[in-house]
Amino acid sequence: MTRIILSTGNIVSGGPSIIRKPGTYRSNLEFTNSLRSNFLAAQQDYAAALQNGNGETNGSGRPATDVWTAKEDSALYIPRIDWASAGLQEERAQYEITVKLFFLPTAPPEKRSEYINEALRLVTKELRLETVDLLITSFPGVSFEGDCEWEADKINATMGNEEEEVNTWSALEALHEQGKVSRLGIAEFGSDKLQRFIGKVKVRPAVDQINIKNCCNVPPPLALLAKDENIELLTHGDCTDILPSGTLRELLGQGLQGAGVLADGEDNAKGLRGDLKPEWVVKYTAFVKDRGVIENKGYFAGAELVEEA
Amino acid sequence: MGLLALGTALDWPDAQKHAQQVREWGIKQLLEIWNKAKHKERDAMLWGDEVEYLVVTYSKDDPKVLLSLRQADILTALAADEELSTQGGCVPALQELKSQSSNPLPVFHPEFGRFMLEATPGKPWGIDLKELLEVEPDMKIRRKIAKDHMKSEEYPITLTTFPRLGVPGVFTDPYYPPSGSKLRSQFVPDEIANPHIRFPTLAANIRWRRGRKVQVNVPVYHDENTPNPWKDPSVNYDLDKWPEDADVRNGAAPDNFIHMDAMAFGMGSCCLQITFQAKNITEGRKMYDQLSPLGPIMLALTAATPIYKGFLADTDVRWNQISRAVDDRTPEELGEKALKGSRWRIPKSRYASNSTYISTDPRLRPEYFDPDLIIDESIKAQLLQGGMDDLLATHFAHLFIRDPIVIFNEDLKELDITKADHFENIQSTNWQHMRFKPPPPGSDIGWRVEFRPMEIQITDFENAAFAVFMVLITRAILSFDLNFYIPIVKVDENMETAHARDAVLDKKFYFRKNPFSNRPPRSAHASGTNTPMVSRPPSPTGPVEDEYVLMSVDEVINGSKSDEHEFPGLIPIVESYLDSVNVDVQTRCEIATYLDLIRKRASGQLWTAAKWIRQFVAKHPAYKHDSDVNDAVTKGLIGTVIDISDREQLGKGWKGLDVPDLENLLGQFRGGCGGGSAA
Repeated sequence: MTRIILSTGNIVSGGPSIIRKPGTYRSNLEFTNSLRSNFLAAQQDYAAALQNGNGETNGSGRPATDVWTAKEDSALYIPRIDWASAGLQEERAQYEITVKLFFLPTAPPEKRSEYINEALRLVTKELRLETVDLLITSFPGVSFEGDCEWEADKINATMGNEEEEVNTWSALEALHEQGKVSRLGIAEFGSDKLQRFIGKVKVRPAVDQINIKNCCNVPPPLALLAKDENIELLTHGDCTDILPSGTLRELLGQGLQGAGVLADGEDNAKGLRGDLKPEWVVKYTAFVKDRGVIENKGYFAGAELVEEA
Repeated sequence: MGLLALGTALDWPDAQKHAQQVREWGIKQLLEIWNKAKHKERDAMLWGDEVEYLVVTYSKDDPKVLLSLRQADILTALAADEELSTQGGCVPALQELKSQSSNPLPVFHPEFGRFMLEATPGKPWGIDLKELLEVEPDMKIRRKIAKDHMKSEEYPITLTTFPRLGVPGVFTDPYYPPSGSKLRSQFVPDEIANPHIRFPTLAANIRWRRGRKVQVNVPVYHDENTPNPWKDPSVNYDLDKWPEDADVRNGAAPDNFIHMDAMAFGMGSCCLQITFQAKNITEGRKMYDQLSPLGPIMLALTAATPIYKGFLADTDVRWNQISRAVDDRTPEELGEKALKGSRWRIPKSRYASNSTYISTDPRLRPEYFDPDLIIDESIKAQLLQGGMDDLLATHFAHLFIRDPIVIFNEDLKELDITKADHFENIQSTNWQHMRFKPPPPGSDIGWRVEFRPMEIQITDFENAAFAVFMVLITRAILSFDLNFYIPIVKVDENMETAHARDAVLDKKFYFRKNPFSNRPPRSAHASGTNTPMVSRPPSPTGPVEDEYVLMSVDEVINGSKSDEHEFPGLIPIVESYLDSVNVDVQTRCEIATYLDLIRKRASGQLWTAAKWIRQFVAKHPAYKHDSDVNDAVTKGLIGTVIDISDREQLGKGWKGLDVPDLENLLGQFRGGCGGGSAA
């Protein structure tokens, strides 16, 4: 069994991955494109750094995997991370740090505490800070979908697994109580779901992130609830299932768009083998408050590779 | 440069003698400011907008609409309003007032034209996205306050120019005859300018230095009944009061051009200017450079100026007219005569697209600079000596090729190094499309950049939309480290292109294909130091010509799907910025409305004000399709603009207004249009 940590690095000045295509309202393209471009960049940079010293390639023109990835604390970092260049330019107080953690349907809910810790460890290490201002949680199977927001709100009421969500929340509440996270938020909760949720939790979410399409009408029950409970309704454009296993396999596979880390089918191909299970994704944003500038934005993702016996 | 300071303004021959002194003192002041402020850091993003109004008199019973020359009275009324001043609103030119209020009311300023008024927010805007939604209500309040301090038949309107400025006969209230000693215009009276001695002196000395009147010629729009060649019927060739009256006999008024001869025809135009405060000088220099190529695009997109002096023009924007209206170059500087007294041939007016890039950005390639840039080498040497870097020294040594136009005798006695008056004398009479503004001495204001090309729009909704868009694009530029560099001569060319009728739809502009910077290679920043400053890739070395391509405004704004080039589009870039920050639903939706207006103006789904005004004229029963915009048509237009504005003030939308094509101008925004019998 191998733990895999994927990362994008800072994507704000990393080229077109961050620019959405007109007309798309929710997608994981920013995440997958920036992963892909970070893999490619790492392959080029580390191969160049070696100056052909270790000229081994895996036959497709890519440098060998161990050139541009790294094993650290039993995890495989794809690509390897240069922690020396981590950190932000200004003092902590200048920033609003927002983290959004996506729990994926492919991972067991009982391990979410671990995922939370791992994700936060990586983000705080990357940004060199102790605390985050807002941690938003996206639960699998919960989305705000429909032709219009009214309809979305109704459909939403039956989505997700409330027991698991409340259980997970207690781990997040602990972080809040320890002062590591100032505010907690959830994503894509409609009025019914949100109403039930706040009845069951100790620390109420301060933020509910919803996706809006063309019609800018927040369903009145949700708007009312948010107002009464002092919950900020923020917008976002992420899809809930941000890293399906097929997508991950493609990202790491031998295909033209792949990183060449995983072996594809054939027996003689190099690379890791086994069952690949995406577990979580975390997005982090460091926003300079009084200048309106995004200084750092990126993603980490965790996956588990269960090697074939 | 407070207007309260009165003094003895020198006539040009005297002013000219002291020009060098003012330049030298100005440079000393600049170096002082620069040395004090070059390490100024971590200033917040603050910004401000300036809205300019024409004041007209309009009544249903009067067949004529006139320009009101009561600027001074209106400002006095505003200044005397105690209720206004206790809430922070004021007229800084007339009163010293320190605002106590946390949310002060707007501030009013005089402008060059005596028929103009400028209003700015009571305090600078911040960058909390929610605050962007306050801009439009604030603009509406400004208009209301202005109106409340006028006579009942006076209205503040936001057209760029008054259609009948300079026509024969009466067009101002009160009436003054033209041909005064200062302007010597055969079309407008000296009283058209703000009477503060600074303004008539500015106009007179520009004319004096130039050796003849300014020559503002705009091609006439040839309609079906317009004669060809067309001779401007309002030109009087027989007038012989001033030596300058000979100008028109010497070819100043060529066929097929609307001929104008005074500063008021340019500086009497209203625009929408936005000023941004940068974090530090480095960021300010970067914003200056990166916003510069957007200038011509935003000019074409905000086009609102199809009429001059009672005739339809064949251009859509005000820019070149202002440029010519303040062009003080001598025949030698213009290249018409061999250089004798003048020091250089100067390719551009003092009002023109800017000629320098100033950023320390390594992506700034030498090929982007203007190869024909004129600078004052001795001033540059002085600035370098004072410790300024080459790029910035070049920039100011370029601005300082100009003479100061208005000099007050009292200011020449002693150099006050703690002030900026001599520096500002030159700096503020270089009207380029971007302005790089050092911190005023003795204030905690930071380095600022002013974006100046946009034309004022008829409604506050539109003005707020363009202001908010510009704010957001600067945030995206800084966040995504965007690169819009193209050779500066291409920006000049674009500026010319932006003038064409319907340039927004019909013309193409040079624009950079790939606005993204290269990701910094790891080897470059794996240095183990604690400074996470992103190091840059080495400067690219491909041919500069491959970096840009001709694009329509639609492609620049909305993105381009062509096979040859893929440009993401400024709106998708702004949306991507918004996707990455925490923004509440309501704010996002309101901002989306603004972006939608701009998207539709760029795509042609909605019309520019210029196109709408043209169509309004064309459909007016009193228009004879001969390019002549007479009193009746003008009254119709101004009356309509007033109606639109009244509706906006009431927040009632424009439904039911009997105005042709209004839905093509304003679409379904803010309650929508349509329902009138003409719609």
